[in-house]
Amino acid sequence: MSDKHTPGDDAMIVLDGVSKHYPGQEGPAVAELSMEIKRGEFVVLVGPSGCGKTTTLRMINRLVEPTGGRILIDGEDVTHSDVDRLRHGIGYVIQQIGLLPHLTIADNIALVPKMLGVKKAERRKRAEELLEMVGLAPATYARRYPRQLSGGQQQRVGVARALAADPPVMLMDEPFGAVDPIAREKLQMEFLRLQDRLRKTIVMVTHDIDEALRLGDRIAIFGPGCRLVQFDTPLEILSNPADDFVRDFVGGGAPVRRLSLLKVSDVLASFGPADDAALGRTVPVEAGESVHRALELVLAARAEGVEVALAGGVRRIGLQTLLTAASQPTTVPA
Amino acid sequence: MSLLSYISDNRSDLVFLGEQHVELVLISVAISAAIGIGLALLTQPVPRVRDGLMSLTGTLLTVPSFALFALMIPLFGLGSSPTIVALVVYGIFPILRNTVTGIEGVDDAIIDAARGLGMGPARRMRTVVLPLAWPVILNGIRTSTIMLVATAAIAAVVHGPGLGQLIFQGLARIGGKNALEQTLSGVIGVVVVALLLDLLFIAIAKITTLRGLNV
Repeated sequence: MSDKHTPGDDAMIVLDGVSKHYPGQEGPAVAELSMEIKRGEFVVLVGPSGCGKTTTLRMINRLVEPTGGRILIDGEDVTHSDVDRLRHGIGYVIQQIGLLPHLTIADNIALVPKMLGVKKAERRKRAEELLEMVGLAPATYARRYPRQLSGGQQQRVGVARALAADPPVMLMDEPFGAVDPIAREKLQMEFLRLQDRLRKTIVMVTHDIDEALRLGDRIAIFGPGCRLVQFDTPLEILSNPADDFVRDFVGGGAPVRRLSLLKVSDVLASFGPADDAALGRTVPVEAGESVHRALELVLAARAEGVEVALAGGVRRIGLQTLLTAASQPTTVPA
Repeated sequence: MSLLSYISDNRSDLVFLGEQHVELVLISVAISAAIGIGLALLTQPVPRVRDGLMSLTGTLLTVPSFALFALMIPLFGLGSSPTIVALVVYGIFPILRNTVTGIEGVDDAIIDAARGLGMGPARRMRTVVLPLAWPVILNGIRTSTIMLVATAAIAAVVHGPGLGQLIFQGLARIGGKNALEQTLSGVIGVVVVALLLDLLFIAIAKITTLRGLNV
């Protein structure tokens, strides 16, 4: 590893040869690891349990002190900075949520602003704003206590609390792990919408590859020996897994799962300028729609293809072309 | 019948001694609590020292109270000071133990979240750990109090204040006039004081239990 590593300007979090050894333990908990996470990027660390992903996450806000390497946040080496000040600037969400049971929801959310010396009235306003943002009515929930809320609602509060001081970075350790499957999917989708608005730099840990593929801009797959095996976009991981471990970990059905990550515009790009001739009925879809969704619409309407309105006119492609293009593993947008 | 008339004849005396008893116990418990909670907090980072302290204070509890009071005489003479010192020694263990248990009982996830939000150790102790451990700590103080109400009666051997005087004086001249009545009224006084203080603690627990915890 180069110790004179110069990160790009848009790098928010840089791990530079970071490692963790626990005394009296044979292997490292995290083997020398270098990663660069861009500003506003949502990175998911995924892998089997005990592969060092949580340790990696906890080294970023120094809940675990690394034994080697450097960690830069926004260009500043944080390995020796004031630890509480560092954490005030990093949102932290954990699976067990960890709300303080003796404080109201509003007070829980306002914890970090309070430590930063924000005035009471302002804290209150901020808490209500955040409750609104995570989909809980402030009038109903601000004065309640954590134990009066369901698990899913509590985790919404957990997310609101992490966002309270508007930190540029968020760390999330299996945030949706303890929530029942139906609520989980809803929370994930809402969180993605929230992220579209807020554009935080997020590092999330999960052991669920589907969650990783659904949420991450990029996914870091940790493998045996506590090593980073592949760090890439979901599409690239499904299309070109680095090795057999990744292929196994991602599991079966990769070609079908790619369909929800590929956009219709990607297919258009690889397919060339010509339209499919002699198409019967087509259904209109947006260029930004996933191929999965487009197929759904075509099948539901018993049509033969889709028509996409683009700047240069309407393009029509047939079902077969959609599928052929989507099945080509090399069809990956730059 | 003669017990009742003895009590009504001597009620101002009994009330005075009862008040002395309450005062003695509350002072001792307050000091025990300061020491017990303080030791628990100070030794939190060093579990070995903490365990050692628990064994030591636990062992002190097994010294017969009569003997402990007597042992105080060469050090503190007679009267209130040896009484309070001995009671404080007895009172520490339940409070120390419950404080340690209470602190250990706080959910790790809550501590982890608080650390992750950038809450330093002192602030974490003040706003998270102690409030959550408080019901358990309070129970330790309550146990100590009830125990000390009984033990304080023995303090009369070192001429300590309180209801023990009635019991010892009565026993010393048992067979004499009103001796039994005097002893019994002391015993009843101790029981009444214990009940009253217990009620006091139930009230304190009700008032100080944080709202979010009993929903």
